[in-house]
Amino acid sequence: MNAPLVIGSVAYSPNVVPIWEGLRDYFAETTTPIDFVLFSNYGRQVDALISGSLDLAWNTNLAWVRTVAQTDGACRALASRDTDLVFKTVFVARSGSGFTSLESLRGRRLVLGSRDSAQAAILPIHFLREAGLGEGDVSLTRIDSDVGKHGDTGRSELDALRAVLDDRADAAAIGINTWNAIGRGELLPGAFESFWTSPEYSHCNFTAMPSLTIERADLWVANLLAMDWQNPQHRPIMEMEGLQAWVPPRLEGYSSLVAAVSEQRIAPRW
Amino acid sequence: MVTPTSPVSPSVAEPTAMGVVLDLIEGIGRVPRGGTVTVGLRQAHRAAALGLVAAWCAASGNEIVVAEETTLTVRHGRTPDPLAQLDPAQRPGSRVWVYTNFDCNLACDYCCVRSSPKAERRAIGADRLQQIAREAADAGVGELILTGGEPFLLNDLDDLVKSCTDALPTTLLTNGMLFRGARLERLRRMDRSRLTLQVSVDSATPAIHDSHRGTGSWAKAVSGIRIAHEEGFRVKVAATLPADQMHELDPFHVFLDTLGISREDQVIRALAHRGVADSGIELTVDSLIPEVTITADGVYWHPVAADHDDQFVTRDIFPLADAIAEITRRFVAHRRAADRAAEWFPCA
Repeated sequence: MNAPLVIGSVAYSPNVVPIWEGLRDYFAETTTPIDFVLFSNYGRQVDALISGSLDLAWNTNLAWVRTVAQTDGACRALASRDTDLVFKTVFVARSGSGFTSLESLRGRRLVLGSRDSAQAAILPIHFLREAGLGEGDVSLTRIDSDVGKHGDTGRSELDALRAVLDDRADAAAIGINTWNAIGRGELLPGAFESFWTSPEYSHCNFTAMPSLTIERADLWVANLLAMDWQNPQHRPIMEMEGLQAWVPPRLEGYSSLVAAVSEQRIAPRW
Repeated sequence: MVTPTSPVSPSVAEPTAMGVVLDLIEGIGRVPRGGTVTVGLRQAHRAAALGLVAAWCAASGNEIVVAEETTLTVRHGRTPDPLAQLDPAQRPGSRVWVYTNFDCNLACDYCCVRSSPKAERRAIGADRLQQIAREAADAGVGELILTGGEPFLLNDLDDLVKSCTDALPTTLLTNGMLFRGARLERLRRMDRSRLTLQVSVDSATPAIHDSHRGTGSWAKAVSGIRIAHEEGFRVKVAATLPADQMHELDPFHVFLDTLGISREDQVIRALAHRGVADSGIELTVDSLIPEVTITADGVYWHPVAADHDDQFVTRDIFPLADAIAEITRRFVAHRRAADRAAEWFPCA
């Protein structure tokens, strides 16, 4: 019962190491100690979860959707960050460009992030399709950097913004986290403005296979949710991981991505 | 496919400056917290970029380390506040040292400020000390420490001490050898509830102490401790020892126990290579947490170097709060510079 739960995570940044060492230290003081394994991409991590090498995987929304597909829905989402429940995609352009809606992208150049980034590629195409813009209606440029990490590095989104600044594109689709990182257009009002923001959708979650018992999973989740932003020992880990509270997942928040993956026939092992 | 029309362009400088922020966001994401990222700056847009990066750092919790002509280095996260890393009792200005005078009845061979019977008095004086005590209390100082020279050589020492104890708890450093006659009467007039005496004794037996301070000085110091106790004063004992004797402290502590000195009042300090000492540990502003120190000549970094130009801070004692603020500012700057140096020091 007290053998550590083995959790997989993708090493998208050097900070993943202190984050997980901090989490390991935290859980060492609980009834559910953990250890962690770092992967270079989500495809490998999902393989390891499904094959039983991992008890849990810290998955992106795309990794979750692909795990659901590969397990016929047998996997379970256990917890997310508070920020994962309110994730959005933001369409941005240079200030004064005159964009007012997705429709105004018709005939214009839109730059997307990595093709395996839900927020900066897969969902933007889905939102365009919902707005009535199909293939050929918008000139798309894809910046496929760090493929395999599902857009976690943010590099492709920053490259997309550079493309807009350099006039290689008229607009870019980026995640709300990147939009926040550049100051939401308030830092330098003359540079970027957003002209369309998507509905909220869900992003990462801890994914488990049925082999992890409900009792053990519930105990671990209770310990995870007990992490406290006000606790000075917990806070640095939570700051680095980008949350103020761990929360139960919001499964309905994945429906737009499920639809997008189906529409776009996304490969099962990204 | 419709050919896109040109968007309304913002000024060229703004996107270029924003590009620097994009470079930083990308670079910061690749280094652990505490690591630094250096990005290029184009001269034409340097000012705009610096302003934007400063605003971005403030919003994102990162920190500009250094801005050169063509490069900008930013830290992932912020350097911990050097002051926050200190014990509250170590913060500059938590206590203030005052050299009442520099002349002394002894000529110790390791005196850090070169005091002796031949040393010029350089007294702080009653008016200045009164103002120091008043301003120290207003500035949030918790304790005054008077030292010399030998303060008991001053004929107005009881008045000097009163101006201090009226304002703050005070410790008076002395060699304890002069508690007789008029000087004993001055001691008796001091406020026992607010004053602690700190007597210098270097060893459990006379030999070591007398070898540094003069024949017979140990016996008089020990006698002085007994007199101070009889007069109802709390007494601390401070010993100055060479580094090679710091591991043989047990007999000394046992001796001080027999004198009735509580363990918390038994202070052992290492000999500093300052003043007339020809050996000892090297202490510089880089290696010393400052203790605001005032002499007749001005404000110094630390009492161990109150006679040395390298630790002179300012001639302006007043306003005392400004002097404390200046030392605090320098301490933070020294610590940050040291941290930067440590980051750049190559392993091989």
